[in-house]
This record gives sequence, structure tokens and C-alpha cells, in this order.
Amino acid sequence: MAGRRAAIKAIDWAAFAERVPPNQKAMFNALKTRSDALSARLATLPEKPPTIDWAYYKATVAKAGMVDEFQKKFSALQVPEPKDTQTAKIDAQEQEAAKSTAEYVQASKARIVQYEQQLQKLRNMIPFEQMTLEDLHEAFPETKLDKEKYPYWPHKPIADL
Amino acid sequence: MLSRLVLRAAPAALRSLAPPVAVGVLHTTRPLHTTQQCLAPLPPLPEKGGEVRYGLIPEEFFQFLYPKTGVTGPYMLGTGLVLYLLSKEIYVVNHETVAAACILSIIIYGVKKYGSAVAAFADKLNEEKIAEASAVKDAAIKDLETAIEQEKKEQWRVEGRSYLFDAKRNNIAMLLETNYRERLLTVYNEVKKRLDYQVAMQNLKRQKEQDHMIQWVEKNVVQSITPQQQKESIAKCILDLKALSKSAQAAV
Repeated sequence: MAGRRAAIKAIDWAAFAERVPPNQKAMFNALKTRSDALSARLATLPEKPPTIDWAYYKATVAKAGMVDEFQKKFSALQVPEPKDTQTAKIDAQEQEAAKSTAEYVQASKARIVQYEQQLQKLRNMIPFEQMTLEDLHEAFPETKLDKEKYPYWPHKPIADL
Repeated sequence: MLSRLVLRAAPAALRSLAPPVAVGVLHTTRPLHTTQQCLAPLPPLPEKGGEVRYGLIPEEFFQFLYPKTGVTGPYMLGTGLVLYLLSKEIYVVNHETVAAACILSIIIYGVKKYGSAVAAFADKLNEEKIAEASAVKDAAIKDLETAIEQEKKEQWRVEGRSYLFDAKRNNIAMLLETNYRERLLTVYNEVKKRLDYQVAMQNLKRQKEQDHMIQWVEKNVVQSITPQQQKESIAKCILDLKALSKSAQAAV
């Protein structure tokens, strides 16, 4: 990753918590505690380390050139940034999640359509007072007695009476 | 004959009969399958059956005869018919007549007294069945509606997945940043330690040299004090003290 600081986005934990389903609350809490611990650690460390007072050391240290050498090497020193190996994985996870989400949403929408259909059927049903037995079998197919499977009265297993 | 009367008195029950027979006999206001289109669902049955006088003869008969014979017409017809049947012995009065009279009177008494109660009971049974079915239907409707709501809620939940990944990336960034700062801090600390060490070493050495020198000087001075010098210095001290004490006494 180029650039020293990957921007740390502000996360709305309240809104996040709202969207967590109840069976995953434990995982959410673990994530939150981890994030909080990390940010606390980050906050305790200063952004830049305090500067070394070269003048004082130059005056004090007797050995000639040692302080100068140190100073030269210190300012020339490049601290390597730690490498970011995980963000790619996270992005891959995000892509997968997006895909599975799309599938889930589609399935969910199909289910909603089904439910709506059933709801319409139930709402448009004629009132029971005006129904004949055939109308009842039309509206609720499970009430129809299976005369082929059980040819003798009561046309259903005795246990179901 | 009685069967014909029964036929006349039960218009509502004729729904199940074949349509042409029903239409031919009844003077009802309900057209059953008379038009091209059949009403589906069939409209509900009327609350009460057709008007009937004396439980047997429909009102329509009286209305039919009213224009020609007025109010008393059907009664005259009825009385005349009955007298004709009796006098010509077309209807013979025998023991069966008595039995019929007794049975009929008991039946009529029973129906008049308990009819409404039995009807209410039967209606209650019917209503219970319908209430059960309605309850099932309402429960089904409610379940479907909650299911739809749940699905919508789940969809809304799923939209929040970006939060999760943002949080993860944040964690990573924080870790990296922390690591980097720790490294910087380590470098600083190490360099400072080394410089401080040098300074401390110097100070220590200097101090030791000083102490040693002082000690050496002291030792030599003490050594160089000969016994002769010591006596002289003590005598001098005593003289000085005497002088001091004199001046002190004078001051007091």
C-alpha cells in the first residue's frame, strides 16, 4: 500500500450494532472490544517520537565526532513501514460477501413474492359463510379428502381425526 | 298431498334441486341460474325463508288470489275444499285422523316452545366452526405478514455489511500504525540510551578522578605534618584561644 497512513474511517458503532442479528451479537462484541483495545493502544503512542537534543550532547560528550556521527546516521535512518498483507484478503472477503448477499437478497425477494401471493389469495377468499365444500377444497387444498389413497370412510388415517 | 305442501313450504331448501324444477315451482325472488352468467360465489342465503301463513301456506298464494277474491278468498277456498273432502268422504275420518291430530298438536307445541332454543344451539355450533376456520385464516395472514416483515428486515440488515469490512480494515490500519510508531519509538530510545551512556560514563569517570585526587592530596598533607609542626601548631592554637578568651571577656 502506498502512503504512510491508511485512512482510519470513523465507524458508527451504534448503527452497526443495530444491524447485527441477535445470534451474532457475541461476535460483534468481540470485534468491538478488539477494535477499542487497538485504538486505545494507538492513542497512547505519540505520533512522532520526541527529538533528541543534539546540541546538549555535542557539548557534553567528550569523544569527538561521536555525536556528529550519531546525528548523521539518525537522520539518515529510514524506518520501514510494516507491510500490509491482510487488506487484500479483506477485500476478497468483501467481494464474496457482496456476491452471497446479492444471492440472499434475491432469494429473499422471491420468498417475499411468494408470501405476497399467498396473502392476496387469503385476503381475496370468499367468507366462510358463503363457501361450499368444493370452494373450501379450492381455497385450502389440504382439506380435500384423498379418496384414492384411503377409499374407505373416513378417507384419512384414523390418527388424524 | 302432504309432500306437495312440504314442497311449497321449503323454498330455501331447493337450492340443491335441479334448477328447472326449482324455477318451475317457486315464486321466489332469488333467480337461480336463470341468467346467462352464474354468480360465483353464489350470494349468501337469505336470513329468513319466505313468508308463510299458518306454517304451511306461503304468503304468495294469498297475494295471488287477492286481486280477484280479496282478503277472505283463500280462506273460503280452503274451507270449501275441506268441507268438500269431508262430505264426499274423499278423506275418510278414522282412527288415523285422531292419531294425526294428537301427533300434530304435540309436534306443533314442541316446535313452538323449543324451536328457537334449538335453532340458537345449531347456529352456535355453526358459528364455532366458522370462528375456528376464521381464526386459522387470520393466523395464517398474520404469519405471512410477519414473515414478509422479517425478510425485509433481514435485507436491511444485510445492507450493513460494509460496516463490518470497514471495521476490519480499520483494525488493520490501526495495527500497522501502532507498529510503525513503536518502531520509531524504539529507534529513538536506543539512540538516546547510547548517548546517555556515553555521558554517564564520562561523568562517572570524572567524578572518580576527582575523588581519587582529593583523597591522595589529603593523604599526602596528613603525612607531611611532622610531630614538630604538630606541637608548634597546638601551642599557637592555645595562644590564639587565650587571646580570644581575653577579648571575649572584655566584650562581655
